Amino acid sequence: MDEARRAKLKDWLRGATGAADLELGAMALLSGGAIQQNWALDVTLVGRSEAWVLRTDNAATLAVSLPRSAEFALLQAAFAACVTVPEPLYLCDDTGILGAPFFIMRRVQGIAAGHRVVKGETLCGGRDAAVAALGRELARIHRITPPRADLAFLGAPPADACLAFVAEQRRALDRQVLPRPVLEWGLRHLERTAPPPLPPVLNHNDFRTGNLMLSDAGVTAVLDWEFAAWGEPHADLGWFCAKCWRFGSAYEAGGIGARDAFYAGYAAEAGHAVDAARVTWWELAAHIRWAVIAIDQAARHLSGKETSLELALTGHIVPELEWEILNMTGVPHAA
Amino acid sequence: MQREAPEGASLLATARDALLQEILPKLSAADAFTARMIANAMAIAAREAAQDAMWVEETRASIHRLTGATEAPDRALAAAIRAGAFDPGSAHHTEAAALLREAARRRCAISAPRVLGKG
Repeated sequence: MDEARRAKLKDWLRGATGAADLELGAMALLSGGAIQQNWALDVTLVGRSEAWVLRTDNAATLAVSLPRSAEFALLQAAFAACVTVPEPLYLCDDTGILGAPFFIMRRVQGIAAGHRVVKGETLCGGRDAAVAALGRELARIHRITPPRADLAFLGAPPADACLAFVAEQRRALDRQVLPRPVLEWGLRHLERTAPPPLPPVLNHNDFRTGNLMLSDAGVTAVLDWEFAAWGEPHADLGWFCAKCWRFGSAYEAGGIGARDAFYAGYAAEAGHAVDAARVTWWELAAHIRWAVIAIDQAARHLSGKETSLELALTGHIVPELEWEILNMTGVPHAA
Repeated sequence: MQREAPEGASLLATARDALLQEILPKLSAADAFTARMIANAMAIAAREAAQDAMWVEETRASIHRLTGATEAPDRALAAAIRAGAFDPGSAHHTEAAALLREAARRRCAISAPRVLGKG
């Protein structure tokens, strides 16, 4: 970040905090998502040091992802519901400061990278303690229910989250160049076996290993709220448990711990048991959703507009997702 | 006359080994990630080049027998599945399931042989 922007940022932060003595220290770009930029930001104000993160948009923003102001409101709602998130501090909608809206949140310590988390034997005090704690986090997220004036940008909840999912994925497939018979097979199975609707709750919609920060002391942050929406609670449980998000680990709950321990943590906090059959439904849904996203990412590469080895290879995840979709719909391995 | 040896498959395999054995250990974490992606892409390309693609035509013929479609068979199959034509209990459910499984197997043999217990 250049000196002119740093100066503007410092002035803006002085106004936002009311601390006229605020000084900016080191700024470092953290490894972040393809959509956002995260900057580690050290500041001093009123004589003390603070460790913050500044989150702003990259040039290429996905249309499906929520804007920074919405993500900030979600963090505020989650923080108020006692979900472990980085405390949201200040939001700036003025694009005149950094060129895009941004917000400031407190910096937390821990490990999030999926391949490291699934190998961690001591995170949160052990595997089952880790997934039980994550189950409790998810149950707290699901206490946030519509209607909420502060989350009005989420729109109205779907009347039937399961059938809405099937319809949304079919629309996404219809936008693609190639038809996808195996994904259609999975979607038809979901349509035929959809359970009746439940009262809507807030879905994080990307609650999976890789987006959850852990330390030996416990869960330190539930990250990446940009896909949140009103929906069915088991959608998040299924996304977390789905085989495609276990990073090669044998542990069924996110590759981290035992499924039973995860369900028990969730049930203890939610006050009701997990409906395992619904989670299974949403695990199949998770494989289809990830396949549709992967097809979309590969299409960005194939279009020639965004040549990228990572996007190209993401397309090659689709066949193994199809393989698993056939397993989950009871298709035998041999003819 | 014939093409000069070693041929493409051998070159790809040797180049991939050089990348993984000689270059990768010297790289930073970020560059190592890219190098692994390159090695992965080379492996996929090598498997694709080695696969007999006859199954694509055979699948096309099978879909024609199942759906009657001569044009855009995958699209016809996708539409029929969506419409419920191959639901459990329907006349050709088992054949449709076997066709999808076989195509997925051929696709995984290139993209993800480890799910087939290979590679």
